[in-house]
Amino acid sequence: MAALGRQVLDGHRLIPLTWSLIARQTTRLGGQKRTTAFLLRKLTMVSSGGGLGESPSVEPQKYVQEPEHRTGLTQCLLEKQRTAVEREKVVSSLLDMGFSDVHVNELLSIQPGTHPQQLLDIISELILLGLNPEPVCVALKKSPQLLKLPVMHMKKRSSYLRKLGLGEGKLKRVLYSCPEIFTMRQRDIESIVGVLKEKCLFTVKQVTEILHRCPCVLREDPGELEYKFQYAYFRMGIKHVDVVKTDFLQYSMTKTKERHVFLERLGRYQTPDKKGQTLVPNPLLRDILRVSEAEFLAKTACSSAEEFGVFKELLAREEEESEGRMADAGSPEEAGP
Amino acid sequence: MAALVGRGVRDMLKRADFMTVPRRQRHKKKWAATEPKFPATRLALQNFDMTYSVQFGDLWPSIRVSLLSEQKYGALVNNFAAWDRVSAELEQLSARDFVNEAIFHGEPEPKNGQTAAPPPASWACSPNLRCFTFARGDVSRFPPARLGSLGVMDYYLMDAASLLPVLALGLQPGDTVLDLCAAPGGKTLALLQTGCCRNLAANDLSTSRAGRLQKVLHSYVPQDVRDRNRVRVTSWDGRKWGELEGDIYDRVFSLVAEIQAVWILTESWLYHLSAREVWVLVDVPCTTDRHSLHEEENNIFKRSRKKERQMLPMLQMQLLAAGLLATKPGGHVVYSTCSLSHLQNEYVVQGTIELLANQYDIKVHVEDLTHFRKLFMDTFSFFPSCQVGELVIPNLMANFGPMYFCKMCRMT
Repeated sequence: MAALGRQVLDGHRLIPLTWSLIARQTTRLGGQKRTTAFLLRKLTMVSSGGGLGESPSVEPQKYVQEPEHRTGLTQCLLEKQRTAVEREKVVSSLLDMGFSDVHVNELLSIQPGTHPQQLLDIISELILLGLNPEPVCVALKKSPQLLKLPVMHMKKRSSYLRKLGLGEGKLKRVLYSCPEIFTMRQRDIESIVGVLKEKCLFTVKQVTEILHRCPCVLREDPGELEYKFQYAYFRMGIKHVDVVKTDFLQYSMTKTKERHVFLERLGRYQTPDKKGQTLVPNPLLRDILRVSEAEFLAKTACSSAEEFGVFKELLAREEEESEGRMADAGSPEEAGP
Repeated sequence: MAALVGRGVRDMLKRADFMTVPRRQRHKKKWAATEPKFPATRLALQNFDMTYSVQFGDLWPSIRVSLLSEQKYGALVNNFAAWDRVSAELEQLSARDFVNEAIFHGEPEPKNGQTAAPPPASWACSPNLRCFTFARGDVSRFPPARLGSLGVMDYYLMDAASLLPVLALGLQPGDTVLDLCAAPGGKTLALLQTGCCRNLAANDLSTSRAGRLQKVLHSYVPQDVRDRNRVRVTSWDGRKWGELEGDIYDRVFSLVAEIQAVWILTESWLYHLSAREVWVLVDVPCTTDRHSLHEEENNIFKRSRKKERQMLPMLQMQLLAAGLLATKPGGHVVYSTCSLSHLQNEYVVQGTIELLANQYDIKVHVEDLTHFRKLFMDTFSFFPSCQVGELVIPNLMANFGPMYFCKMCRMT
C-alpha cells in the first residue's frame, strides 16, 4: 500500500505542470480563500527562500517567471501563483495518497504557516508507517506540533518505531493517545523500552504489544513504571502475559492500589501463592480496573460509595505516612557515607 | 582433573565426618526451613476469616476492611482539667460531644411515645461524661493531648466505643465501683470522670499493665481526687508465675492465679465496705480483635499462645462469675470485651448465668439495652441480632469497636 503510494507520488513529479492548470487553480483559490490572501503571501515569501529549489519540477516555472520580476503588482500576483503551484502540487499528491478533498482542506488549514512541502513530507512519512489517511488527519488535527518537526528527525524516529514493531497498522492507536511518540527524546523512549525489556523481563513481542495497547506508558517515569509492574507481579500475582493482555500498565497506580487494596481488605482478593492458588476466587482484572467506579462497587466489591470514599482518604493518608517513614529511615543511610 | 580429585577428597572427608557423628545426633539440616513462617497477625486474620464469615455473613467484608484500616478515636474530656475550655477547643475542630447529643436527642422520644413513663432508672447513663468524636465519614484526627493549666492532661484519646460499657453501667453519685482487669485505663478514667465513685477499686493481673494504669491516672487525675475517691489500683499478680513466661502450663496457672486474685480482692474489698451495692465493670481479657491484626508483639494468635487462647472463654466466665458474686442482690455488673466472637461474648454471659443458677442458686437478670442502643445509633453501628447484650461492629463510616457489652443485675 505504502509502496504504491510512493510510486504514484514519484510518477506525479514527472508530469509537467501546465499553465492552464495553474490558472484554474488560482481562480479557484482566489474565489475560495480571499480572506487568507495575506497569509498566503507571507507563506510564499518564506517558501521562496528555502524549499523551492529542491524540487526540480518547480524549476521551469521559476525560469518563466524570472523576467516579470519587475513591478510590485505582478510580483504579488506571481507569488500568489507560485504558492498556488506549490499548493496544487501538494494537493494532488495528497489526493493521490488517498486523502479526500475535505481531508486535504483540513490538513492545509491545520497550521497555515507550514511550508506545503514540509506538510507533504511529514504526512508521507506517516503514510509510509502504514497509517491510513483518515487517522493521519485526525492525529495531525489533534497534535499540530507534529507538522513542525524536522523531516530528518521524523525519518529517524519512523525507522526506530518500525524497529520496535510499531509499523503496519499498529501506529494508529499509538498516535491517537500518545502523539508525543514523535516529539519526545529518543533517550526517553529507549529508557522506557529498556525498563520493560530488562527490568520487567517482557519479551520483544510483548513490549511491542504493550506499546501498541497502552502507549501512555511512554509518558511515565521509568522508575514508576517498574514499580507498577512489580506491584502487578508480586503484589497482585499477575503474570507477564496477563499484564499485557489486560492493559494493566495503562491504569494509574493510585486507582489500581485503591481498588486492589480495598478488595484485599474486604477479603475478596488474595495474592496467589507459588502455584497460583487462592482460598477465594479472585475477581477478573477487567472487573476491577476497566469498569466504572459505580460498577466496581456494585458488582465486584459489593460495597457502598461512602465507604469507598472514606477508604480512599484513609489509604491516601496511609501511603503518605509510610512514604514519610521510608524517607525518615532512608535519610540516615544517605547521610552516612 | 584437579577439580575431580578435589571433589573426591571432599567427598571422602564428608563421609568421614559423617561417620564420626553419632547416629542419635545426626539431623536433617533443612528441619525448620520447610515450615511456613506466618506472622501472628496473619494467623489472626485467617482465624477471623474462618469464624466471623460464618458468624456475620454478608456483614463480614465491611467489618474486615474496617478492622484493617485506621480506627477512629474519641476524645474523653478530662473533667479535672478546664473542661469547658477544652470542650470549646474540640468543638472548634468541628468535633461533637456524642454523649451529650445522644442524651438530648433521646430524651424527647419517650415523652412523645405511648409509654409516657420516663425510662427506668437503670437506663440512665452514667453522668458527666463528655466525649468528642468526628462525624460519620470524617477521618480527621485529634491532636495529641496536652498538659493543661491545672497540671493534668486535657483529654484522653480512646476508642469511643469503650465508653459505652461505662455509660451503660448507669452510675449514681456515691456508688462503689469495682473495675476488674482495668488496664490500660480508659474505662477506669471514664469511671472516675463520672464523679460518682465513692470508692473505686481497679485491678489488673499484670504488673506492667497496672503500672500503665497508674501512669494514666497520675497524668489525668489530681492527687487529692485520687485520695478522696479512694482509688485503689491493685495488681493481684502472679508475679512468681509471671517470671516463667513462655511455658503454657505456667500461663494456665497464671490465669488461675488471676481468678484467685479476683476472689481475694473482692473478699477483702467487701470486707471494707458497708452493705451498699457494688457496681462492677468486668472488662475481660479477650482476643482484642483489632489489636491482634496490627500488633505482632505479644499477639495472642501466636502459635505458642494457642492454649491460652483456647482457655480464654473459661477465664472470661470465671471473671464474670467473680464479678457477679462480688455484688449484693440488686447490684449491677457490666461485662465487656473488645472481640467480635460470640464465643467470648454472649455465650460467656449465658454460660455464666447458667453456672451461677446451678451452682450457687443465684438468679441473674440480663437487662435489655435496646433503648441504650437507639440513643447511640447515630454514632456507632450495632450488630442487629445479638441474643444478649449489644455489639458495636466497626464500619468505615464509624470505625469504632469492636466492643461488646452486656448489663446484668443480680436478683438473689
